[in-house]
Amino acid sequence: MTLVKDRVVLPEPGYGMQPKSRQLTVDLATMSTTEPAAAAMYQAAGADDDATAANDVDPVSETSEQRRARFERDAMQYVDQLYSAAMRMARNPSDAEDLVQEAYTKAFSAFHQYKPGTNLKAWLYRILTNTYINLYRKRQREPLQSNSDTIEDWQLAKAESHTSAGLRSAETEALDHLPDSDVKNALQSIPEEFRLAVYFADVEGYAYKQISEIMNTPIGTVMSRLHRGRKMLRDMLADYAAERGFRAQTDDQAAAGSKNQEKEK
Amino acid sequence: MSDCQGLGDCDDTRMQRIYEYLDGALTREDLTEIKQHLDTCEECAEQYDLECLIRTMVKRSCTESAPENLKNSILDKIHAIKPVDA
Repeated sequence: MTLVKDRVVLPEPGYGMQPKSRQLTVDLATMSTTEPAAAAMYQAAGADDDATAANDVDPVSETSEQRRARFERDAMQYVDQLYSAAMRMARNPSDAEDLVQEAYTKAFSAFHQYKPGTNLKAWLYRILTNTYINLYRKRQREPLQSNSDTIEDWQLAKAESHTSAGLRSAETEALDHLPDSDVKNALQSIPEEFRLAVYFADVEGYAYKQISEIMNTPIGTVMSRLHRGRKMLRDMLADYAAERGFRAQTDDQAAAGSKNQEKEK
Repeated sequence: MSDCQGLGDCDDTRMQRIYEYLDGALTREDLTEIKQHLDTCEECAEQYDLECLIRTMVKRSCTESAPENLKNSILDKIHAIKPVDA
């Protein structure tokens, strides 16, 4: 009995078990267009859901028309996402549109360098981020540079003196009622490298490594940017909640105290 | 601010652990340990809930649709580009 059980449970390398269990992880869309075994190997190599139709592409032999069609089919579906990210970079919708256009144009020109099967959306985000840094930030440098340093210092000091771990669960409810515009403004008010790290982690759910590739920074930097960015964001949101009349921190405790007193009466 | 030292001896360490948990950046072992802690410690669980909420709020607020003409302008631009062969 135990012998049989062992044989069933333990997958041995090179034995029939392993390929079988891999096949189970293959998603149905991929399986329907390719050989299950090839798809399974593909999956095992760490391909992700952007890998649509990667198996039928040979970037070396395809014609420029085929490449254009492939770009339109695979890359154009992310316009909304890139626009949302661009809105966190640029200061207004019109600049965000320009930024996305510029990034797509660059991406198209460099599309022969994109490796099919790797994460296309992350590749586009990296181009967007580079475009922003090279193009827009340079353009904004003269009037803003000296100012933005001051703002950043001020915000860092604020975030570090604030005890953001002091929010109470009543706060959770208050924050939940904040309108989207407050959340956007709060995010917009934290320094951009922190803001973008938070955006990629929270909105796209990217892992630290992916964010580090998109932003071209070490993973440790991504982690500290996220940490500080989230802290700042939380403080900002608490401020917005307080401004809107939702009580924060000590006020909240005071309010709870006076309520209790009233009850006692 | 907090009395709980279950996730680290200062708020910074504690929040870092919570962020890593939230971001799925932990080993299975650490994940289990933190989950167990959050299940039993109300204080840390509150912090975690709040971070989850903020994450949801950011996600909800920052999911915009591009203006309708943007996609077409991009396509126009792309069609105007001379093909580059690899």
